[in-house]
Amino acid sequence: MKRVLGVIMLATLAACEPGTKDTVQVGYRGVAQEINYDRSSQKEIAAANVAPAPLPPASEPSPPVKWQNVQVLTDVSANEMTRTMIAMTNWVSPKQGCNYCHNPANFASDEKYTKVTARRMLEMTRYVNSEYKAHVQGTGVTCYSCHRGNNIPQYGVWSFTDADQWRRAYLDRSDIRVQSISVKPTPVNRSSVKQTENTYALMMNVSSALGVNCTFCHNSRAWASWQNAPPARITSLYGFRMVRDINSTYIASLNTVLPPNRLGVHKDAPKVSCITCHQGVNKPLLGAQMVKDYPALWGAPTWTRGGPSDTVSRGYTDFREADSTTSDRAPILRPEFARPLPAPVPPKSGGN
Amino acid sequence: MLEYQNLFNRVQVHTTVPDPGVPIEQSNWVRQLPPSFNRLLGIIGDAQIGPIYLGFTGVASLVFGFLAFEIIGLNMWASVGWDPVQFIRQLPWLALEPPSPAYGLSLPPLQKGGWWLMAGFFLTVSIMLWWVRVYRRARALGLGTHLAWAFASAIFLYLTLGFIRPVLMGSWGEAVPFGIFPHLDWTAAFSIRYGNLFYNPFHMLSIAFLYGSTLLFAMHGATILATSRLGAEREIEQITDRGTGAERAQLFWRWTMGWNATMESIHRWCWWFAFLVTFTGAIGILLTGTVVDNWYLWAVKHGVAPSYPATINITPEKMQDLRGQYQGASPQAFPVPVVPAPRIVVPPADSTAPVQLLVPAGAAPRTDSVRKNP
Repeated sequence: MKRVLGVIMLATLAACEPGTKDTVQVGYRGVAQEINYDRSSQKEIAAANVAPAPLPPASEPSPPVKWQNVQVLTDVSANEMTRTMIAMTNWVSPKQGCNYCHNPANFASDEKYTKVTARRMLEMTRYVNSEYKAHVQGTGVTCYSCHRGNNIPQYGVWSFTDADQWRRAYLDRSDIRVQSISVKPTPVNRSSVKQTENTYALMMNVSSALGVNCTFCHNSRAWASWQNAPPARITSLYGFRMVRDINSTYIASLNTVLPPNRLGVHKDAPKVSCITCHQGVNKPLLGAQMVKDYPALWGAPTWTRGGPSDTVSRGYTDFREADSTTSDRAPILRPEFARPLPAPVPPKSGGN
Repeated sequence: MLEYQNLFNRVQVHTTVPDPGVPIEQSNWVRQLPPSFNRLLGIIGDAQIGPIYLGFTGVASLVFGFLAFEIIGLNMWASVGWDPVQFIRQLPWLALEPPSPAYGLSLPPLQKGGWWLMAGFFLTVSIMLWWVRVYRRARALGLGTHLAWAFASAIFLYLTLGFIRPVLMGSWGEAVPFGIFPHLDWTAAFSIRYGNLFYNPFHMLSIAFLYGSTLLFAMHGATILATSRLGAEREIEQITDRGTGAERAQLFWRWTMGWNATMESIHRWCWWFAFLVTFTGAIGILLTGTVVDNWYLWAVKHGVAPSYPATINITPEKMQDLRGQYQGASPQAFPVPVVPAPRIVVPPADSTAPVQLLVPAGAAPRTDSVRKNP
């Protein structure tokens, strides 16, 4: 009897993670805003997130070259172009080499879908590095951030199905915010508990993608509160915007490029999520700044360290358009609820 | 015949012939299951099993309960393609979900929540019949109906969650799914949707009564066990007999906390605490979404939630921008699988066609994400 009890107790303990934990405070004291790190898994994480050494710099600077069919890398020298191509091969198709995208007889040809895809992805990388500094900051992204030596990124690549409704929020933020900003119910917020479960699922997806607790970005007593949230939440908001933007602007445009076997059940191109880059750590590749060595991926004339996380280069200071229903446009409601929206509630001190 | 005495020790005392129980008024149903003894059961309770009285309400309750159980189980099994291995493996995560909010209070097709309505109806009938049975058995034995009314409090919470509140909200989709983790996930989502249920004062009361119940249970159980060595459980004349076990129990509590419940009132304490757990909980659920939509903001408004220094220094305007005006979508917007059309269509490289920007009908064209390469 005692032996059986002992086995049961051991089995119960096995559900706990052994090893020392480190707790880091990220918010005001006494509100349990802490991040827990499991020391025993840190070595594994460090080993799995090593950035490859940069290629030697291009020998001598030279003006951009007029190529036959180069559409994106028009602003780099011939040497830098070759260097970037070698780096891309190492990052995306180390086994297949140049021929994964190029016809060796005619490098200018666009006959392989992989080349058209790579061009679009190159545009995307430059777009992210120049327009989403609020999210990628001084770290930036390269092909390796997602691909890690694989033709197709290993993690988080997904297509639409009827079952993964919660992933919609990566592309459509209309129903991710479910809490009311008023004490009393209003016809404006008709969010259901089911929608909330989608939000919850999405948030857990982000949490596991970054290897962090909820409290990395939220004060759990008031999920919607920005004032009481750690600043990482703002970085995360830009991340949401970025993922939605690159999925709808860049990835979705591959619907017509990719062969049918690369498409999902709804004939859509596989999309990215947070884990595609992050792969279990809150800074991809533990913050390795790969892109600073590859000017062709900058997308802007200079690559500088990012500024404060809530400032952004241009065009992204007003979040209302994309992150919620706009204030001057009523949501689509049943006729009996289709009344104009109330005026914006001025924030109160100490409140949300 | 020697009557069995409920002695508070581990000696299993019983008669050679099982006790059929007290005679009651004649009814159509007889007591079933011929009584027998079981030594193992005697370790944790009475060694005698049976007789049991099922009666009409008992049989009907079991039949309806079985129907609900089958509907839930078969729906879960169907959801994994009738794969028995997956059914066992994924059982904790399988669910029978209520209809989508888009159906409101109408009757949806079976596959879209109709089975949930049916299972809920049968389960409710089963529970109600069991309540009638509890009430009628108590009356038949000449007992009070305290058990039935305590049970009714739990049924009130069950009905509030699955019927009354969904009707008030105008949507079956507000109700709880059947399933082990799914109903827990629902609980978490419910709290998130309504701005943290911990700030709901009736939820606070319910928790206080729940924890209070366990405390009272521990105090009472420990007191009776501690005084049973003096035969206190058999004392009736506590007031006239001084220095008895029960007298010592009450003295103990007066010594330790200055006041004591009586042998009678402690059971009223326990009954009311247990009753109020589910009763106050049900009121809290009833108010959520109907009267209060964000309990955190309610608590801020009424000075319940303390305020802490801001951890992000942003202007009110910026905060408004970050938060957005609103939030939320109509019930009809869910769940519809959305496959967004590509906003930009890249023509094949050898084509001379320009890059197309697709704009959804009726929307102003977006200008912020259109960018030329430098």
